[in-house]
Amino acid sequence: MRNILLIAKREYLEQVRGRTFLITTILLPTVFIGVFYLSFLSGKNSGVGKHIAVACSNPALGAEIRTEILADTEAKAKVDLFDAEMPGMLMDSDRAKLVAEVNDKTIDGFLWVDVPAKGPVVATYDAQTAGDFVTAERLQSALNQALLRRRLMESGVAASAADALLKTVKVNTRQVKNGQEVTSNAISSFYSAYIMALLLTMTTMIYGLNVGRSVIQEKTSRIFEVMLATVRPHEMLTGKLVGIGAVGLSQILIWVGAGGAFAASALGAQYLNGNLQIHISVFQIFLFAVYFLLGYTLNSALFAGLGATLETEQELQQYSPLAALPVWISFSMILLISSNPNSFWVVLASLFPPCTPIVMFLRMGSQMPPLWQIGASIALMLVAIWGVLWFSTRLYRIGILMYGKRATLPEMMRWLRYS
Amino acid sequence: MPVVELAAVTKAYQDKIAVQALSFRIEPGQMFGLLGPNGSGKTSSIRMMIGITAPDSGAITLFDKPFERSSLKRVGYLPEERGLYKKMKVLDQLVFMGTLRGLSADEAQKRAVEWAKKLDIAHSILKKTEELSKGMQQKIQFISALMHNPELIIMDEPFSGLDPVNATLLQDTLLELKAQGRTILFSTHRMDQVEKLCDSIALIHQGNLVLSGRVREIKSRYKRDRVHIEFSGDDSFLRSEEIAEAKNYSGHAEIRLKDGGDAQKLLAEAASGATIYRFELMEPSLEEIFIQTVGGNIDA
Repeated sequence: MRNILLIAKREYLEQVRGRTFLITTILLPTVFIGVFYLSFLSGKNSGVGKHIAVACSNPALGAEIRTEILADTEAKAKVDLFDAEMPGMLMDSDRAKLVAEVNDKTIDGFLWVDVPAKGPVVATYDAQTAGDFVTAERLQSALNQALLRRRLMESGVAASAADALLKTVKVNTRQVKNGQEVTSNAISSFYSAYIMALLLTMTTMIYGLNVGRSVIQEKTSRIFEVMLATVRPHEMLTGKLVGIGAVGLSQILIWVGAGGAFAASALGAQYLNGNLQIHISVFQIFLFAVYFLLGYTLNSALFAGLGATLETEQELQQYSPLAALPVWISFSMILLISSNPNSFWVVLASLFPPCTPIVMFLRMGSQMPPLWQIGASIALMLVAIWGVLWFSTRLYRIGILMYGKRATLPEMMRWLRYS
Repeated sequence: MPVVELAAVTKAYQDKIAVQALSFRIEPGQMFGLLGPNGSGKTSSIRMMIGITAPDSGAITLFDKPFERSSLKRVGYLPEERGLYKKMKVLDQLVFMGTLRGLSADEAQKRAVEWAKKLDIAHSILKKTEELSKGMQQKIQFISALMHNPELIIMDEPFSGLDPVNATLLQDTLLELKAQGRTILFSTHRMDQVEKLCDSIALIHQGNLVLSGRVREIKSRYKRDRVHIEFSGDDSFLRSEEIAEAKNYSGHAEIRLKDGGDAQKLLAEAASGATIYRFELMEPSLEEIFIQTVGGNIDA
């Protein structure tokens, strides 16, 4: 035990005193918050401030569509009503004129609404950008609203009554927690959990790879032979895992402390409100630490074994997608997780040990998973860690003394048999 | 009571036999040389002695007990593959290694400083290891292996890569430790060093023991058929019928006599045409004995 602690202490001090620790502790959250805030702002500003022309074969409907678009004040759109060459009729020459205006960038796009005497209304939106689905969504809503109003009025409904009928209602989200209704902000809850899942992903990946790198460095510097004359391989591996894990935990503690201090400050109060309000409970922080430790141990045990079979850090880099794979799987399910956190596939993913930490936190964004599922996921992770450690310690014991070339798969199988 | 004893130890890696039925013993206070060319099985034997690997068969005893890890606290080991933590400061590194071997941090620091002074690297003790020359790093490893006052010191190729001044410094330190009663095993392929320093040797080739025993005794088993001669003048005596092989350097020659060759006759022949400054009838060197024993079949 004394040896394990001595090795852990050495690993801890070497990493914490290093420049990389200082840089990642400060830089990582700064970049992270910057990217997150940018994506938040760009989401908020997408489809805003567009200059649009509305061309409609029914001038009255065209005017109403314009009014509807302008009624959406968040869009901050500038809307021109297009004067057709022949009022009440849209011709190819009109369309060519509008296309030329878009091409010249005089306008961002135009909404072309053809209302035939018989048959359905046909509408198209031509724009400079192909993927502006936010504006297209806004125009569709405005067009349908105006069309509905017009049809109601054509059926004899008075304008005021039509307005009353078409009044939209905003749905406020509330969450039922422990039988009680609580006001919730779906966006901020989701973002809070999303940030924690991302942090968990990055830290477990970075520190897992760190263990692999550290094993390779020791192998390259030939320190193992000296160490093994004093300590056992499993003491070395355990000390390394404990030491580097402690570095990760320290970094998280610094972030949580700094984040807490910021949230409690006046500046924090100014920024962290509305959709940016932080929704993290003490239980979530506790689970964050638990899932970090489990995720880190799983990743680092894997990379320690792998590192022992390799010769250079470049070779290790080739295997880093292995650590990223669970992240890709988890984030590809993000829509399903946020809309249906208790569906079969989501529960299955949250119980699959490599994905557990991330998926569990993404689920928490929508709803706290049942305690039994949290317990089961932790138990399954422990079993997975035990399994990976079983393989890794065997590869490690032999691999650290094998110099010169990367081990082949048949060689690794032999190592497992020797141990 | 031997400090180390190997009894019929065998170790194979896949289909390559590294060590085969190797037996020898090292007595307390001895300077013991484990000899052999590169790849002969020296490092494999040492790794088994200190439990880094386990023998496939045979028995190893350390301090008169079957191998147990607690005995390693009494052993100092300098491996052939030198290893240090490059980013650590020298003193931190030595304290770390000392504490792993059971010293308290304070005691380890005290001894590290003492040794650093003794080996003339005190000025570098607060530097990072990567800032030091290879020779300096080797001294640090030397200290790291010795600072816990081990009873058995195992050094694998301890002088490789050292300049003559530092090699002499470390050699003198080893002799000093021997004088204090420590047992020293060192492995090398440089047989001239062993001849100077060791009391006993085990000579291995391709994993097999080919010679073992006290150096004096081994050498006495071989005939004195080597002649070193320093001369000036006529060198025609080098074609004498008494000679099997002669190497003529300017001013001196190394001669191997024929079977039954007469050294006195050769001296007379040489003296008849040349001025003789030195004429020495010598026993063969360990290197020559080794080559003679394995029939020149050396792979390195």
